[in-house]
Amino acid sequence: MLQSIVHVCLAGLSTGMFIWLVASGLTLIFGVLGVLNFAHGSFYMLGAYFCYTALHFQGNNFWLGLIFGPLAVCVIGFVVERFFLRYVYHLALPYQLLLTFAFVLIFDNLVNIIWGAGSIGSPSVPGLSGSVLILGRGFPIYNLFIIAMGPLVALGLWAFLEKTWWGRIIRAAASDREMAAAIGIKVPLLYTVVFIFGAWLAAVGGALAVPYVGLLTSGMGQAIIIEAFVVAVIGGLGSLKGAFLGALVIGLLSSFGTRYIPTFDMFLTFILMAVVLLWRPQGFFGEGEQ
Amino acid sequence: MSEALLEVVKLNKAFGRVVAARDLNLVLQPGVLTSLIGPNGAGKSTLINLLTGFLTPDSGSILFQGRDITHLPIYRRVRQGLCRSFQVANIFPNLTVLQNVTIPALAARRRGHCLFGRVERETAHSHDAKQMLERIGLGSAAHSPACALSHGDQRLLEVGIAMAARPQLLFLDEPTAGMNPVERTKILGNIRQLAEDGAITFVIVEHDMDVVFSLSDRVVALNHGEIIGDGTPDEIQSNPKVREVYLGE
Amino acid sequence: MNRHSTTIATAILLCVLIAVGLFAGRFIIYLAMRVMILCIFALGYNILLGRTGLLSFGHAAFYACGAYGLALTSIHITPNPMLGIPAGVLLAAVMSLIIGFFCVRHTEIYFAMLTLAFGMMIYSLIWNLRSITGGDDGLYGIMRTSFSLGIVNIPIMKESQYYFMVLFFFMGTLVSIHHIHRSPFGLVLSGIRENHVRTEFAGLPVKRYRLAAFIISGFYAGLAGTLSTLLESGITPQAAHWSHSAEPVLVSLIGGMQTFTGPVAGSVVYIVLREIIERFTQNWMLWFGVILLVIIMGFRGGIVGSTAQLFKERRALEPSRRVSHE
Repeated sequence: MLQSIVHVCLAGLSTGMFIWLVASGLTLIFGVLGVLNFAHGSFYMLGAYFCYTALHFQGNNFWLGLIFGPLAVCVIGFVVERFFLRYVYHLALPYQLLLTFAFVLIFDNLVNIIWGAGSIGSPSVPGLSGSVLILGRGFPIYNLFIIAMGPLVALGLWAFLEKTWWGRIIRAAASDREMAAAIGIKVPLLYTVVFIFGAWLAAVGGALAVPYVGLLTSGMGQAIIIEAFVVAVIGGLGSLKGAFLGALVIGLLSSFGTRYIPTFDMFLTFILMAVVLLWRPQGFFGEGEQ
Repeated sequence: MSEALLEVVKLNKAFGRVVAARDLNLVLQPGVLTSLIGPNGAGKSTLINLLTGFLTPDSGSILFQGRDITHLPIYRRVRQGLCRSFQVANIFPNLTVLQNVTIPALAARRRGHCLFGRVERETAHSHDAKQMLERIGLGSAAHSPACALSHGDQRLLEVGIAMAARPQLLFLDEPTAGMNPVERTKILGNIRQLAEDGAITFVIVEHDMDVVFSLSDRVVALNHGEIIGDGTPDEIQSNPKVREVYLGE
Repeated sequence: MNRHSTTIATAILLCVLIAVGLFAGRFIIYLAMRVMILCIFALGYNILLGRTGLLSFGHAAFYACGAYGLALTSIHITPNPMLGIPAGVLLAAVMSLIIGFFCVRHTEIYFAMLTLAFGMMIYSLIWNLRSITGGDDGLYGIMRTSFSLGIVNIPIMKESQYYFMVLFFFMGTLVSIHHIHRSPFGLVLSGIRENHVRTEFAGLPVKRYRLAAFIISGFYAGLAGTLSTLLESGITPQAAHWSHSAEPVLVSLIGGMQTFTGPVAGSVVYIVLREIIERFTQNWMLWFGVILLVIIMGFRGGIVGSTAQLFKERRALEPSRRVSHE
C-alpha cells in the first residue's frame, strides 16, 4: 500500500516537473511582456521533436539532442517575437492572444506535415536507463533524474532573477515597463530575450520528455498548455513560486487520479481549479488583476 | 434642517507604509460647493477612490444620505447618486460622443438591460443624453467618434459622462486640467449653473487657486491623509498650517 | 445602414436562401446548411467577442452541450425535435450560466484561460463518461423525425426539407441578434468593451452584463449544436474541443469583429475555403492559422470592415478627383 502511494507520488512529481518547465517559461513571458503565450505548449512539443531529430542524426546521443533541440526552438521563438508579436503589443489583448493561437495552429500542423501525423517512438538514454528499487518496486532512474532537474531549474531561475544584473533588469521591466525604458533599458531587446528564454525553458522540458513519454505526438503541446494554464491559475499568473508549487500539486493530483480514479483524472484538476478560483481568485501567489 | 449628504467617519487607508487616509472625518452638506486641495500625494485622489468605491478602506465608515455605503460596490453607489469624473479623460474612445453620454443616461433611467428596442429611439434616456450634450456644448459633435475630439473637448465629455448619471454628489477630479481658457470658462460656467440650480453638490479637486477661491463655498485642505484646514476660502487663505504646507511659507 | 435598406437586404437574403433550398443541388444545400449553422454559432459568439470584448476559448463546450442534449433526448426520450432542441439549448444555457459565473469575475487573460480550461473540462467529461456519451465514438444514428405543429405535420427527413428548418432558425437568429445589437443592452456591452471601469462608474453592474452576454452567446452556441447534430445525425466529443472553439473566433475575425454582418461573411468564406483546402491536405488548419496571422498583422477589420474602410476612403477621394479634372 505504502509502496503504491510512494510510487504514485514519484510519478506525480516527475509529471509535475515537465509542467513546471512549461509553466515557468509561460510565467516569465507573462510577467515581463504581459502576454499569455498560447503557443508555449507548441514550443514544448517542438523541443521534443527537434531533440528527437537531432538525436537521430547524431547517432542517438541524447545530450546533444538536449542541447540542439531547444536551440532550434530558440530560433523559432526569436522569429515569432521579433517579426510578429512585437507589432501587436499596442493592440487590444484579444489580438495578442489570437496571434499566439495562430502559431499554435501553424506549428501543430507543421509538425504533422514534417514528421508525419502518427506518433514517434523514442529511445532510452544510456547512463540513465534502467530502474532502481524503491520500496520493493522498480522506478525508472530517468524519472528520478527529471525529479531532480525540476528544483534545479527552479533554483537556477531564482538565483538568476535575484542575484544577477540581468535578473534585476528583468524584474525591473516586469514591474514597470515605462520606468525601465526611462532609465535606459532597451525594452524591445529585453522582451525578445525574455521570450526566447521562456521558449527555451519549454523546449528543454520537451527535450527531456523524449525518453520519458515513450512516444511523441503532435497533440502533446495542446495537452500540456492546458495543464500549464491550470497551474498558472492555481499558483497565480506571474508568480514563479506559484507556478512551481502549482505544477507539483497538479502533477501529484493527476498521478493519483490516474491511479485511483482513472475515469476522472483530468476532471479532478479542473475541480481543484474551480475551488481555488472561488476561494482565492488570484491564485495563491498571484497579485490580483488590474 | 439639512441632513448631511455624506458623512465620513474615521476613515483609514494605508498602502504599506504610505498612509493615504488617517482617521479622516468629514461631513458634506448638500448644496455646498467644496474644493479639495492639497499637495501631490496628500491623498485627494485616494479619498475620492475610497468614497466612490474604487478602493476599500482599512477601517472606518462612509454614510451617504444616512445609508452605510462603505462596502457597497461602485455601481450601487452611482445609482444612489454618488458619482465622479476622472483626472485623465476616461471616455469610450470608439463610440460616438452621443453614445458616450447615452450609457450613463441609460443607467440613470434603469434602461440598460433592455434587450429590444433601438437605443436611438425617442425615449427619456436619449432625450437626457442629447440635453447633456447641449449643456456642455458638444451638441454639434454628437456623431463624431469620441477619440476624434480635441483634448479639451474630451475633458468636457468626461465631465458630461459623469453628470449624465444624474448624481446628487459629484466628485470632479481636476476638471480643468489641460483645458484652454475658453473651455475652462465653459465648464466652470456649467458647474456654477448646476450648483446654483441645486441639482448637484460638487466636490472639486483643484490645483488652480483662482478656480478654488472663485467657485467654492468651502475649502478642505489635505496633507498626508489628514485634514489640515476646513472652512471658507478666506479662512483657508489665512490658515497658517495650510500656508505652510501648500504655499511654502 | 438605415432601417429601410436593412429590411430590403434581409428580404433579398431570405429570397435567395429560399431559392437555394428549392432549386439547388444536394451538395450546395448541405454546404448552405453548414454555413447557416456556423453563422448562428458565430453571430452569438460575436456578441461576446466583438461587442463585449471578451475572448472565450470554451464556447465549443456549449455547442457540445446543445448537441449532446439533443442527442440524448432523441435516444432516451423522444426523437421529436420540438423537445430535443429546447432541451439541448437549455442545457447549453445552464452550463454557460454556471461556467460564466466563474469566468466573468475575471478579465481578459484570466478570462481566456478559464474559459479554455472549463471548456476542456466539459470535453474530458464527455470523453470519459462513455456509458452516457459514447465516449470517443460519440453518439450517432440520431433521427430527423417529422413533428407536428398543431394540425400540420412537418417532415424533415430529407436534407432538402430539413434545410428550411435550419433556415427558419437562421433568420430568427439574424433578426434577434440584430435587435440585441441595436438595443440599449448592446450599447452597454460596447461600453464595457471600450472602458469597463467607466461603465461601472456610470452606474452599471459590469459583471452582470458580461454574464448576460456570456449566456446569450452560450445559448446560440447550443442552438447551433442541436441543429448540427440533426444535420449530421450524430455528434462526437471533438465538438467540445478547444480547437472547435477557434471556429467562431476565426469566422468573426475573417468577416470583421466589429460589424454585424462580419460573422455571416466570415462563415461563408470559412466553409468554402475549408472545403477547397481539405481536398488538398488533411492539415487545412495550418492554412487557417496563416490566414489568422495575416489578418491580425494587417487586416483586423476583416472582410466587411476592410471593404467599409475602402468605401470611406474612396468617397473621401472623389471630390479631389473631380477638382483635378477641371
